[in-house]
Amino acid sequence: MDNPPEPQYTQAEAYAPMEAAAADAVAVLPDFPGFKERIWGELPATHNGIDVQGFTIVEITYVFSLPDSGTPLVRETYLDVLREHWTALGYRITRDAVKEKPDRVDRSLVAIRPDGIALWYWAAGYTVLRVQSGPVTASDHDAIEYLPPTGGVRPGGRYDKVGKYFPEGIPADPDVVDPFDSPDSYEDSL
Amino acid sequence: MSEMTWEHLRDLDCGAVRTLGDTWKTYIDQQLAHTERLRTDVIEGHLGTEHYESDTATQVRDQIGMTADRYEDDLSDYASTRIATTLLEAADAFEKEQNELKELVPLIEQHDFDIEGPHSEYDVNLSGGLHRAILTLNPPQWLCDMCGVKKPDGFWDIDTLKVLFDSVDLYGTAIGLAGQYQDWLRAVMSRAHDADDEAAAALAEMHENPAELPPHLGATYDDLVDDYKEGVTEEVADEAEAIADGTSGLSPEQVNQWWEGLSETERRALIDEHPEWVGPVDGIPTEARDTANRTVLDRDIDALDTRIAAEEQALQGLDPESDEYQNAKEALDGLKGDRNDLAGLQDRITNDDGTPRLAEGPEPQQPYYLLGFGTQDNGRAIVSIGNPDTADNVNTLVPGTTANLSGAGGLLHRAETMQSDAQLSSPHTSNATIAWLGYDAPDTIVPEAMQERWADGASEDLENFTEGLSATGREDTNHTLTGHSYGTTVIGHAATKEGVDADNLVFVASPGVGTDTASALGVDEDNVWATRNSLDPIHLTPDFLHGADPTGDDFGGNAYHSDTGAWNANNHSTYWDDTNMAGRETLADIATGQR
Repeated sequence: MDNPPEPQYTQAEAYAPMEAAAADAVAVLPDFPGFKERIWGELPATHNGIDVQGFTIVEITYVFSLPDSGTPLVRETYLDVLREHWTALGYRITRDAVKEKPDRVDRSLVAIRPDGIALWYWAAGYTVLRVQSGPVTASDHDAIEYLPPTGGVRPGGRYDKVGKYFPEGIPADPDVVDPFDSPDSYEDSL
Repeated sequence: MSEMTWEHLRDLDCGAVRTLGDTWKTYIDQQLAHTERLRTDVIEGHLGTEHYESDTATQVRDQIGMTADRYEDDLSDYASTRIATTLLEAADAFEKEQNELKELVPLIEQHDFDIEGPHSEYDVNLSGGLHRAILTLNPPQWLCDMCGVKKPDGFWDIDTLKVLFDSVDLYGTAIGLAGQYQDWLRAVMSRAHDADDEAAAALAEMHENPAELPPHLGATYDDLVDDYKEGVTEEVADEAEAIADGTSGLSPEQVNQWWEGLSETERRALIDEHPEWVGPVDGIPTEARDTANRTVLDRDIDALDTRIAAEEQALQGLDPESDEYQNAKEALDGLKGDRNDLAGLQDRITNDDGTPRLAEGPEPQQPYYLLGFGTQDNGRAIVSIGNPDTADNVNTLVPGTTANLSGAGGLLHRAETMQSDAQLSSPHTSNATIAWLGYDAPDTIVPEAMQERWADGASEDLENFTEGLSATGREDTNHTLTGHSYGTTVIGHAATKEGVDADNLVFVASPGVGTDTASALGVDEDNVWATRNSLDPIHLTPDFLHGADPTGDDFGGNAYHSDTGAWNANNHSTYWDDTNMAGRETLADIATGQR
């Protein structure tokens, strides 16, 4: 099998800088309302036009709630702030687009870091911040370390969608629990 | 095989065929009133228990009830599902192609082309008059316009000389246009022949399987009635088996009607006792297929475990240096490979407690539905994220070269990404995305992906799959078929030869879709989309292999932009990468009806 060039990260190594990139973006957003959910996903990595096993692309998605997704602060101001921030950090802006639709205006901003990690802020039906790793060497799920989400998503909660990597459950760590966050259910607490 | 000519199709009174179908439906409703009368006026009326109470009376009531049941079943299975639905489906299919013909034939005539050749494969050629016009430097105005030359006014002037110098281009343009019309005509007739053959098969199969009636009352009644009742039960199983084998002649819509006509008990029994006849069948609702397929998947994995254990034991008694050992070892490795592939698929779509897993994605999270799988060839896997029967938007992804069951995980990742993008783009609609590895994909770019046979081999299955989605889904669902690479060729062949039930066709990184014109695809040209980034080497595919580049201006339809990744890398499969958010956004918009 013809493999892609040796990536900078393994899959297991990629999550930390990607999550840090998301946290860095959140840190510059004023009046941040919090994300609703985090999703860890993957895409097939390809080489010479063909999917190659043993490699993957990690995609982390942070989603604003639907009401927050529709506010000018989230759809427009944050995009302007991130454009300025990422540009100042020397990231390469590869997409900065506006798409008019009958009922809304979608915006899309993509910045690529020197290490190949891409950041995509997309204001569509939902507004999301996505972080993509580029091709990385696939890791066994056992080797992947749990990293608490940024932006107000409750670690290990219903909306922390990383469960397939941790079938035995999210590793318990009281330090990563946000004490002010509401639980998904009060069923066992009443 | 259908003998229908284009003239037959042009002149066919589709309304009469439809009226005939409607008449059968009306007839059925009238007949059902009779069985209802039998039950209310006879069984519960003047032969009711308040008038007659005896073993014989009970027997008579039962016999009449069974006759009414049988009559209703036959009305449903034959008069309605077979005859009326066949006629109505044929009328719809013929009318759709007839409308295309009504658009196409005038174009052929206006451009002075001739339709020639046998009905099985028409040619569209330049007429003698058009040849002469070009040769005498008097090309028609439309051809001058297409080539950007001024029509000569009859004198040997500069325009005449330009036409002389451009005559090769004029010929090439005229031949190219005739070729597009030829593709279109052949596609129209291929789909019409397919509809004709399918209707004939459905009706012929009815003729070959006359239904049994309840036994007559009399001395042997008690002996025969139990056999009859058992026969009725077996009949459902026989029908299910014939449908699964593909010998019933029923279309997915007819299969759906048959399924809906079964009692809940009959449906449950089929799923429990013969899941292999339920899971793969297009036209059976998704929930039932998923349940049945998961049962068969468990069973197949267990069976492979048993076979592997037996083969391993047999291997121990063989000389490791012998050919027999090598052959047995190879077979064993194959079994283990199949087992791993199936277990990988199962793990991906199933929780540890055996319940269907939810795909990771934005709210509301969607479960996986297993619509088909197999280990034949390089394997099959048809998995939906979200229920296509209830979704507003359904997008089916057809992968290309090297797609196989071992790599189904990557295919599913791509489908999950598309599902996620659709959900994020359109949160107020319900969306489903299907990974359709329902065919034997080419293993290699050269030579296999250069051949049409893989696409031709997939056409009927893809046609049936899309028809099944229409049969089990909602009427207003927006269906999209998205192909990547050779998957676009598969979609193109299915669309032109058999016809597909889809509102939108999307061709990503296409080597060609088997036709030179979007008009031949049987889908509104405005809803045909194609994209290729500027560094994708697929553009080097010559047109003679799989037809013209669908992103080209001459093809028709719409092209949309995709960005490239690294300049020094092959960009054929980077359409979902971080380098092509533009393409992903557009695909999500198409799939959710926002384009």
